[in-house]
Amino acid sequence: MSAARLRSVAMYALAALILCYMLAPLLLVFPMSLTSGNTLQFPVRGYSLRWYEELIADGRWLAALKVSMIVGALSTLLALTLGIPAAIALAWGRFPGKRIVSAILAAPIVTPIVIVGVAAYFFFSRIGLVGDRVSIALIHAAIALPVVVSTVAASLTTFDRNLLRASASLGAGTLRGFFEILLPLIAPGVAAGAIIAFIISFDEVVVASFLSVGADRTLPRMIFSGVRESVSPAVAAVSVVLMTFSALLLALLGWLQSRGRRRGR
Amino acid sequence: MTPAVGVSGRRGERLLALLVLPALVFVLAVFVVPVARFLSLAVDNAELGLGLSRTVAALDAEPPAEGEVPGEAAFAALVADLAAARTAQQDALIAQALNQRMVGTRFLVIKTARDAARGEFAAPFKPAVLAAHPDWADPEIWRTIAANGGRLTDYHLLAALDLRRDAAGDIAQAPPEATLFRQLLGRTVWISVVVTAACALLALPLASAITAAPPGWSRVLFALVLFPLWSSLLVRTVIWIIVLQRNGPVNAALVATGLTDAPMTLIYTRFSLYLAMIQVLLPLMVLSVVSVMRRVPPSYMKAALSLGAPWFTAWRTVQLPLILPGLMAGSAIVFVFAIGYYVTPLLVGGPGDQMISSMIAFYTNRTLNWGLAAALSVQVLALLAAMTLTGLALRALARRSVPA
Repeated sequence: MSAARLRSVAMYALAALILCYMLAPLLLVFPMSLTSGNTLQFPVRGYSLRWYEELIADGRWLAALKVSMIVGALSTLLALTLGIPAAIALAWGRFPGKRIVSAILAAPIVTPIVIVGVAAYFFFSRIGLVGDRVSIALIHAAIALPVVVSTVAASLTTFDRNLLRASASLGAGTLRGFFEILLPLIAPGVAAGAIIAFIISFDEVVVASFLSVGADRTLPRMIFSGVRESVSPAVAAVSVVLMTFSALLLALLGWLQSRGRRRGR
Repeated sequence: MTPAVGVSGRRGERLLALLVLPALVFVLAVFVVPVARFLSLAVDNAELGLGLSRTVAALDAEPPAEGEVPGEAAFAALVADLAAARTAQQDALIAQALNQRMVGTRFLVIKTARDAARGEFAAPFKPAVLAAHPDWADPEIWRTIAANGGRLTDYHLLAALDLRRDAAGDIAQAPPEATLFRQLLGRTVWISVVVTAACALLALPLASAITAAPPGWSRVLFALVLFPLWSSLLVRTVIWIIVLQRNGPVNAALVATGLTDAPMTLIYTRFSLYLAMIQVLLPLMVLSVVSVMRRVPPSYMKAALSLGAPWFTAWRTVQLPLILPGLMAGSAIVFVFAIGYYVTPLLVGGPGDQMISSMIAFYTNRTLNWGLAAALSVQVLALLAAMTLTGLALRALARRSVPA
């Protein structure tokens, strides 16, 4: 074997090993969550769907899922309504202080999440909104906003603005131009932004921990409060469900992007 | 909603700017202002500066001699201050703030405030107060109150660096048994550095494989590397607990291969913290290294090798400088995220592996010490700001030295 071939084999072997380290833990949880026993252990003694049935039977998990869905939907909607116009302004507009505005919009995502959570707790406790799911959605929207702005702005750079001028010259109003010309053409970028925004909210645990009490617990909050003592098979089952859900959303995102690329050609 | 989308020209571009306003106002309202308000608590001295304002003023007007208790005016002011605070339900906050500066004064303040509000003290106040609560005869309390007047304080910021003001008002080291925060800061930075370095090292073979593989395989590899990025941080952390626990697969493998006789304690250690943090952050590093590596033609390395350079020399002198910007950008991202880590150290680290974020949460949730929580937050943000500025300066220098 030549030296170059040897190096190439070594590189792929090393990459495979590292990939194994990154993915094996995620994969090992699938069989472990199917245990029929009372605790998580490996090797698994007997397989059953017991803990998945438990998730559905125990109302708290479904209730938390509902809260997570509502918070995720609210924050995604808010991030889109604010983010799309902001992306248009940042992509096409020319105004003083543009870089500062971008920096301010990006601040929530680079600030350590605990500081965001504590500050939000301090703020909302003064106006009596702690424990309300709306307060969580507001902060999640602020964290997701920069991501929405950047994905939408990216799709705007390939958009031909002459289309809007043409529609205006044919008598279409600005709103009609926005909803019937611009929005359909940048839809893949908007959808990608929406999916990422939803994932950000759906997975976020720290802000949700500071702001949620009692009935308004999100799904990550439920997991978080349970695992500090011990990890039950139910938590492993929830983890599997969440991972599958993320994988599906990611596949959807990839499909949207490949569609967007084809259209761009 | 979009008044200027179809408008062209300079006026249109100005009008377009208005579209950013709702988002800007929103972020200012729910993020910038709350964070600024919270951070301002680091220097806020409302409890002592406002709550004991009359006492501080009296001590200012008639400073007691060194080692002496002040006169009637200060005691009268104290009674007035504490009675008002009790009525406004601020007495516990004053007691807490004074107790931070001088341990053991909490109940003295609360009891005195209770008596003052009931009107149990009559003029002359000095003998009345001293008779009921003789601890006020300690000149140190009065010195502490006098030293901590004013609307602003550097007490929390200094405390977050294991410093305090001594009797003369100079900045001094806190006693060794009370030092905690410099070690915490050092540990936070050290963990972040180790994680960043490990991510950089592990990202190199992964990114090389992704760039060198044929297109189809490259896409699959890339998707596999990025997949963990999209499954939740919490789930990935919980999974490490499951995998590393006593009855977990790693211990099962260790025992089965005979490497150990009995299951080892792998979880709740620095080792498990590193494993989990690196796994969580590695995709970000790979992402930025791949984006740079794809722009480096493979012919460069081939040329260097064909001219007889040993592989490592060729890699170090040809490949590395070209992918360095990607490594630096990736390191900056990983480091910034690592510094703020909270969930992972809390769940898979031991008590000695906690980072600054955990202490911020601790002071908020458990002891309601907002001042110290805010001071630690200021410390983290200052560290990140310093990092960013250094990075920008380095980039500017690099750009000047290599004319593109």
